[in-house]
Amino acid sequence: MGDNLPPALLTTSLVNTIQIGSLYALMALGITLTFSVMKLPNFAHAEYATAGAYAALIVSLSGVLNPLVIMIAAFVVGALSALISHLAVFKPLERRDVSFYTLILASFAVGLIIRYILFTMADYFNLFDLRIAIPLRVLFREGTLILSNLFAWVVPTSLVLVFILTLLLNRSPLGREMRALANNVNLARVIGIPVERVKNYTWLLVGGLAGVAGALWGLQTAVHPLMGWGAIISVFAAAILGGLSSFSGTILGAYVVAFSENTVILFLNVNYGVDLAYKPAIPFIIIIVVLLFRPQGLTKLIRRAGDLGR
Amino acid sequence: MINIDIGATAISILTLFGIYSLMSISLNLEYGVAGLPNFGKALFISIGAYTAGITYTRLLPLLAGVEAIHPCGPTMGGALQLRSEIMASNPTAGFINFGLTLLFAAAIAGAVGFAVSYVTLRLKEEWFLALVLLVGGETVRILVRGADDFICSHNGISGVAQPFFFVADPRSRALLFMLLSLALALLAYLYSQRLNHSPFGRMLKGLRENEEVTRGLGKNISLARAQIMAVGSLIAAIGGVLFALNTGFVNTNDFVVNLTLDVWVMVVLGGIGNNRGALLGALLIAIMDRFAQIGAIVLNMGGSDIEFNYVRFIGFGLILLWMLRYRPAGLLPESRLTTDAHDVVRRVIGASK
Amino acid sequence: MTPLLEMKNLRKDFGGLRAVDNVSLQVPEGAIIGLIGPNGSGKSTLINLIAGSTDLSSGQVLFASQDISDLPADEVFKLGIARGYQEPALYFKMTVLDNLLLPVKDQRGERPWYAPWRRSWQHEEAAHAEAAVQVLEQVQLLHHYDTLASDLSGGQMKLLEIARCLMGKPQLLLLDEPTAGVAPKLAYEIFQQIARLRDDFGITLLIVEHRLEILFDFADYVYVMHLGKLLAQGAVDEIANDAIVREVYFGD
Repeated sequence: MGDNLPPALLTTSLVNTIQIGSLYALMALGITLTFSVMKLPNFAHAEYATAGAYAALIVSLSGVLNPLVIMIAAFVVGALSALISHLAVFKPLERRDVSFYTLILASFAVGLIIRYILFTMADYFNLFDLRIAIPLRVLFREGTLILSNLFAWVVPTSLVLVFILTLLLNRSPLGREMRALANNVNLARVIGIPVERVKNYTWLLVGGLAGVAGALWGLQTAVHPLMGWGAIISVFAAAILGGLSSFSGTILGAYVVAFSENTVILFLNVNYGVDLAYKPAIPFIIIIVVLLFRPQGLTKLIRRAGDLGR
Repeated sequence: MINIDIGATAISILTLFGIYSLMSISLNLEYGVAGLPNFGKALFISIGAYTAGITYTRLLPLLAGVEAIHPCGPTMGGALQLRSEIMASNPTAGFINFGLTLLFAAAIAGAVGFAVSYVTLRLKEEWFLALVLLVGGETVRILVRGADDFICSHNGISGVAQPFFFVADPRSRALLFMLLSLALALLAYLYSQRLNHSPFGRMLKGLRENEEVTRGLGKNISLARAQIMAVGSLIAAIGGVLFALNTGFVNTNDFVVNLTLDVWVMVVLGGIGNNRGALLGALLIAIMDRFAQIGAIVLNMGGSDIEFNYVRFIGFGLILLWMLRYRPAGLLPESRLTTDAHDVVRRVIGASK
Repeated sequence: MTPLLEMKNLRKDFGGLRAVDNVSLQVPEGAIIGLIGPNGSGKSTLINLIAGSTDLSSGQVLFASQDISDLPADEVFKLGIARGYQEPALYFKMTVLDNLLLPVKDQRGERPWYAPWRRSWQHEEAAHAEAAVQVLEQVQLLHHYDTLASDLSGGQMKLLEIARCLMGKPQLLLLDEPTAGVAPKLAYEIFQQIARLRDDFGITLLIVEHRLEILFDFADYVYVMHLGKLLAQGAVDEIANDAIVREVYFGD
């Protein structure tokens, strides 16, 4: 594919693909989980990542530079914002059995509220575009390709988290209960699964993972109230590539989206002079094409045990 | 303290009210009456604004009999000056240009709405339509922004003057534009009100309540969907033209998802399926918008560090959530549909007694 | 004489399931044809196949000698085949009268450019309203014309659904359990109404029904389905005494 792409650019873009793709995967898995377990397309999901990033930033600014503590703070804040939005907004609406569009609107409203609370806070304390203050060390340098200690951090962490999440879903009792909910809520209730508790745990889990993703993101770029919102469509595109139901499909989808946003656009730019300004259009086009022509996403291509039945 | 010019504030609120009404009525026709979740409202509004951007830079000079200057890049200033001169000195060209802008915007948006409706027929699940429209609107925005020569990408086009620009007194100028936007909103309201109580409205409400049954009763629902999307889109585009003329700018940054959400809030607030509700929602948001601006100024002058614009969005989200949870039918719930035929039957029964 | 409706070797597969398997049947003009069988035998699917709301896997449906196999539901209705649903599928948020007027064919006011000009369609609408009065009188719902459909009783809903079909001036009416969930006495009245449709308007009927005791009083001919296949057919007396039918249907 990268015939005319200079090797150094190609390598850099591939490294970016892995890095960004892993973060997308962490967030997109949350969207797939909320959609299959809760039947809710949550457009506020990326805001949990922003909230997590800010938690990490504030902890690091307070002088605590232990990465583990930072990640835990991000997880807790992400998880809590997700749980609160469920308890305060989505649960009462679901109980009234409202339409899908009401849920979509509500999730936009939740996103708006979280985003602008963060904006107000960032504005007040002057927390725009700061990096999480873990010192940067260069581990490897080859032309334009620079691998820092952060890369060594971000990619393994996200991969390990994705792996743990997959294990949790497939092997743990909680995972089994989530899958039961995804298949048929009423049936799950009849056979004695504590539906509400499982839902709460699901929210904590997806919010926490998004929070960690946000913190990992904040390690390599700057933290800004718009960072989550800016990624939401890419993340949705990944989940939609997973048919909004398949776990493995979502992970693959995340890397496909990241690959198109980093490598494919570069290839088009070098070979056909496509302006890089069109980069944001890529996930949009992926969504439209998939929904119109392949609504099941990549699921049929990779039928695996990790899929949540629908 | 700052002085608030009550007259000017009222004029600007009513102008906004007219513009927002066009948008909320169009969404109410699509979602409230026919049940089509148009989350791509910003796209159809933007078609109107982009059309204005093009007519003002390419068509207006032609109508005035002068050669057009390329609006972007180094000749940008000259082109802007040319536009302003024509709008100030040649009202005829200005009005013809305005009329043609409305015509083109309506035609293009109507055609796009019609086509989009047919393309999206193949979607597997109903709510995918919401997603495709949402995402489609953003895609078009990015593509337009990327195309340098179209409406000057990031810079946008300024000096898109309203047709009464030639009037010297700023107050009367604003007043005339307010009347124009209110008149267009009134037309849209009357049209949608009559549509609501016609056999077409009845069919659309049938479509909203049960698509399968409506098809089974011999209605071409694909066509009906496309027709109402066309009507809704052309009204939204007219709103878009006025929106651009009101601010004087055409810039892709104005047509983001937040604009779509604004329109949804108007309809949810006012009452889904009720045209009067759509008007009420538009009025409330227009007032809120204006006072948010005033509030921001007051707050900043008072030395507060809190950016009022952010607070506005939080308030917006809270209002939306509150309405969805506690008043899902809106402030003015939909009244039940009774078409003219009821009078006929009442008379028949009365005569037979 | 060729039958009004003729099905030739209809088949419908849902994934691996064969819901309708090689069914052929005929509905002569002016007849009341019963279609019976245990739950899940494919009766409702057959109705859906004829009405065009489900695509068929193979086979052919002829209506008045015209091939309607691939027509969508709206075209089928326009040709003169109306249908009722097992669960009354009314417009519950509309009045009884609007429920009746919606299915009228070729309304001028249904076109978006005529709709706002009331003058262009109000005469037509008045004529339709008068036709609706006739139909409402027939099913004794005239004084409910202004009631929301959701406020009607179960039996009235069934009648309204039949009345709504009539407004499309059908030649053939497909009814899926017109007496489901209705008290026995009212069920008999509904069938009397149905018989009058045939006698007064010459409408042909194909009726899926579980209440055999009532159906057998009115039907001319009965088809029996079992597991997607046609098990038996014949005049009412033959079917009522058919040993195989009794076995699958009544379990004796």
